[in-house]
Amino acid sequence: MSFLRINNIGKTFLGERKEKVIALSDLSFDCQDGEFLCIVGPTGCGKTTLLRLIAGLERPSVGDIALANTPVLGLNRETTLVFQQYSLFPWRNVIDNVCFSLEMKKIPKKTRYLKARKFIDLVGLAGFEKALPYELSGGMQQRVAIARALAHNPKLLLLDEPFGALDERTRHRLQAELLGVWQKERKTVVFVTHNIDEAIFLASRILIMRDRPGRIDYEIKVDLPRPRDRRSPGFLKVHIKIREILEQILTANNKESTL
Amino acid sequence: MLGLVIPIIILATWEFFAIEANNPALLPRVGDVVNRLVHPFTDLLNTGSFVRHICVSASRVVLGFILAAIIGIPLGLLVGRYLLFHRLFSPVIELLRPLCPIAWIPFAMAIFKTYTIADMFGAHYTTNIFGQIQLGMLYVIFYGGFFPIFLNTVHGVKSVKHLYIESALLLGADQKKLFKKVIFPSSLPSILTGLRVGLGISWMVIIAAEMLPGSDAGIGYLIIFSYELAEMDILIASMILIGAVGALLSYGVKVLADRTSVWQAKER
Repeated sequence: MSFLRINNIGKTFLGERKEKVIALSDLSFDCQDGEFLCIVGPTGCGKTTLLRLIAGLERPSVGDIALANTPVLGLNRETTLVFQQYSLFPWRNVIDNVCFSLEMKKIPKKTRYLKARKFIDLVGLAGFEKALPYELSGGMQQRVAIARALAHNPKLLLLDEPFGALDERTRHRLQAELLGVWQKERKTVVFVTHNIDEAIFLASRILIMRDRPGRIDYEIKVDLPRPRDRRSPGFLKVHIKIREILEQILTANNKESTL
Repeated sequence: MLGLVIPIIILATWEFFAIEANNPALLPRVGDVVNRLVHPFTDLLNTGSFVRHICVSASRVVLGFILAAIIGIPLGLLVGRYLLFHRLFSPVIELLRPLCPIAWIPFAMAIFKTYTIADMFGAHYTTNIFGQIQLGMLYVIFYGGFFPIFLNTVHGVKSVKHLYIESALLLGADQKKLFKKVIFPSSLPSILTGLRVGLGISWMVIIAAEMLPGSDAGIGYLIIFSYELAEMDILIASMILIGAVGALLSYGVKVLADRTSVWQAKER
């Protein structure tokens, strides 16, 4: 039995003119414990919706989701979602943001700060404990968001294009840091991105989503040794393969819309 | 420095016309008014000093305002958060909101007469401050302060980012904690804006309420009484004091607001 099971789910929304919009349909995949799974796909293919369903922020219209053999029927607190937008509580400083979940669990302040410091160190922000989010750069804010998610100690960490708004250099640095955290903490990660390079650098396995309606059609195992070299032949080979699949999806879409 | 230019022009014009008019019952000299202001503890027209009148007005305002905050903030939090409360209260509120608090003064006087807080506790003819706090006035101040506080609280709650709520829920917050740790702090800057505006309106309303019969203390009363006795220097000095105290109250809340919500001003 796999750790996370997505079984034939579909999600239909009511659009602005009350028309039915099929966001996801017949979507299935499994994820093993400790895996780093990346999901790539064109913008608007329902990647974010998929993560929201796994987190239990929304319910699928059909199909079912199970995490560690427990069906997800509502808010799924075994997961934490790191959003693409900056989601830190702006009125709390770094350490109190990281502590939030520990505070909810009524852990005394001293213990909670001790634990939080560990995660702040882990994401390389020691010395910034008392800073307010507005004083930090976008990259630093996302690191705090990851530390906050880790402090919650979820079984499954969901990341929705967390580095999407960052410049390339910062993004590469944070990718390397995230891998370090993943190797140290042995968390299961589902990471959504539209950046192929990012997916290959991070993932043990990549799922490729098509759009209209969102579905997973391809999967690629990435066996390259870590840390991965973006210029190595193996890396480029995977890159080209994913690119080809995405282009196929896009041309298929174009054909449909011209017919 | 630049801010002094206009006041100096006003003072000079005033002084010019005062000399021309040469009639203190019409327009006193600047010096006469300043002379009143630098003796705030001197008894005026056998009614007490400026300090006493200001204290009476201020205690009415503070009490009514606290009442407005105690009711306005929790009610605003509920109406902003829960559709049930929104549906229950919004028709009444939309109907009452355009009604100016001053329009309530005659009604409040008719209902509450000149009953004071002291009367409520059976202490008639007392000389302490509670003998000066009329229920009718309290009601009018409450009404004036309530709407800005309430409406800004509702607005604050409705503007809490969905992202924060979802993050908090996933990180283990229950409904109670969500309110205390996310919705309230996130709306606080807006609530404080409401308090500031509400306090300003309460202060304006009390002056109007004190000008009507049934009061024998307060800075608004002093204005009307000095008008009746043609003591224009006291009248103008009172007006200046009203402005100064209003500005001070507003500044006090602003300092409090800036301290608790640095993050809001700096966001973006």
